[in-house]
Amino acid sequence: MTPPPTNTVAGMIRPVPMPPDSQTNRDLLAVMKGASGGYWFLLGLALFFMHLAGAIWIYQVYKGLGIAGYAHPIFWGVYVVTFVFWVGIAHAGTLISAILFLFRAKWRNAINRGAEAMTVFAVLTAAQFLGIHVGRIWKSYFILPYPNQRGLWVNFKSPLLWDTFAISTYATISILFLFVGLIPDIAIARDRATGWKKVLYTILALGWVGSSSQWKAHNRSVLHLSGLATPLVLSVHSVVSWDFAMALVPGWHTTIFAPYFVAGAIFSGFAMVLTLMIPVRRIFGLEAYITDYHFENMSRFILLTSIICGYAYISEYFISWYSGVEPEQTSFWLRAFGPYWISTWVMIIFNTVLPQLLWFKKLRVNVPFLFVLSVCINIGMWFERYVIIITGLSREYNPATWGEFIPSWPEMGILAGSFGFFCTFFLIFLKLFPVVAIAEMKEIAIHEKAHGAGGGH
Amino acid sequence: MARLVGIFELPAQVAAAVKQLKSRGYTDIETFSPAPFPEVDDAVHPKPSKVRLMTLIGGLTGVVTGYSMTIWMANNWQIMIGGKPFSSIPPYTIIAFELTILFGGILTVLGLFIFGGLPKFKIDPAYNSRFSAEDFGVVVRCSEQDVAEIDALMRDNDATEVNLVES
Repeated sequence: MTPPPTNTVAGMIRPVPMPPDSQTNRDLLAVMKGASGGYWFLLGLALFFMHLAGAIWIYQVYKGLGIAGYAHPIFWGVYVVTFVFWVGIAHAGTLISAILFLFRAKWRNAINRGAEAMTVFAVLTAAQFLGIHVGRIWKSYFILPYPNQRGLWVNFKSPLLWDTFAISTYATISILFLFVGLIPDIAIARDRATGWKKVLYTILALGWVGSSSQWKAHNRSVLHLSGLATPLVLSVHSVVSWDFAMALVPGWHTTIFAPYFVAGAIFSGFAMVLTLMIPVRRIFGLEAYITDYHFENMSRFILLTSIICGYAYISEYFISWYSGVEPEQTSFWLRAFGPYWISTWVMIIFNTVLPQLLWFKKLRVNVPFLFVLSVCINIGMWFERYVIIITGLSREYNPATWGEFIPSWPEMGILAGSFGFFCTFFLIFLKLFPVVAIAEMKEIAIHEKAHGAGGGH
Repeated sequence: MARLVGIFELPAQVAAAVKQLKSRGYTDIETFSPAPFPEVDDAVHPKPSKVRLMTLIGGLTGVVTGYSMTIWMANNWQIMIGGKPFSSIPPYTIIAFELTILFGGILTVLGLFIFGGLPKFKIDPAYNSRFSAEDFGVVVRCSEQDVAEIDALMRDNDATEVNLVES
């Protein structure tokens, strides 16, 4: 450019030329474009189950919790099992986003967004089960400490109160974490969208332009949210476990519960990430971004947490034998050889035996195997909670009060509906927001451009 | 006044250009990056982000709220159980902990909004969708006679283009 001649600078302004869009943007935004017949079929199926559960729930509100198979001595049934299951699933997202972020594990970049979204939807699914389980939904606000004319306050010494605070904090923080991470990516989508999507993204991107002050505040916020979410994720499932461990029920009243539940939660959460991301990668052709390397690392995590779970199972049995307390011993004997033996052996085989196959590298990179294994782990982890809750309650101290539990059809319908609810939101998310964090992938791409090609992320 | 936007390909070039511009006395500088690069952000704003202060305020508010709410509520309607004190600190620590995280997290995001200038209702005319692809931009506001100097400086630092935009 030559120095400005006599005319003004403003007169020299010309539109800035536009080069073609970057490869990363094109690949990752393509996931959000259009929808195949298969997608609509899956969404329809998910919506069907969600509405089915809604209908069953309305019926249950009308008839009462009696139709849910609740009978003496078992008043915590499939709903509580499923609540713990979904809270557990929710843990992998924060682990991948926050803890691996603090450890600077770069491989998390490809999977963190999907895992964060999964976390939010899983927590929302779980939270509904508290309402479903209490039955009289119109009184569920009693759990909140609000000023009322009776002058009463809630009992903060109760683990159920701790749970209220833990779950609502977890839901809030994971939504904030997901949204903060999404802002730069929504701005990318905004710059390329048209029609109603342009309006939506313009609102949600909050005017993000990627200026240095924005990135500076963003980086610091992500760091601090990670720092806050790391102890939070460990506390949430500890608090959930104390719902049980603080009670005197044999099989529940143990100090190992907090780490045992946290490891199990991370274990099941990673399995769910695999269950979701393997089809997503396949359907949307994201092999260049979500590589086998990512799946292999996740399977290593699964192997590690599976061993921790196995250790917890063994030590539970050992301590109950070693304690010499007869109700404990009976409870554990009946777990393995009593009326619920199938659940126990499903749990042991799916959660601790099958994952040992991941010692073999060939299987760690075998994607169909990983998918099947992850589904087995999801089933196994649901049964783990089933075993803990149902066998514990059905065989308490006094044999005269023992009872049997068979899941009822409303419970199974609402369980199926919870998957419908979760999948509905995940499928909608896939089409509205980038499922791989685009800005983070670009960070790697630009680093590679700066330092020459190579480096496998 | 004029505004120039230089377009760069790599973060190191942006950081070098920003440093040189600053050393020549140009202070109204802003960058656009497709991804976070500390070298770029630190070159423009060398001080750590004030978001950390917000997290601290939120966390402290949370812990104080958690303990004071539980202790006050337990003593507002006293229920005697086995002669034990009305307030029990260990279980209240859980509530205080959760509220520390909750308030800390909310104020962190509020800090992002305040210090990142969000939400912004009018997007800078110098912004361009190539900055959400893979290009970097350096925007400098300067008087009209400095345009040539800045243009040369940016090109010396490997700017692929330098354009004038509305000021």
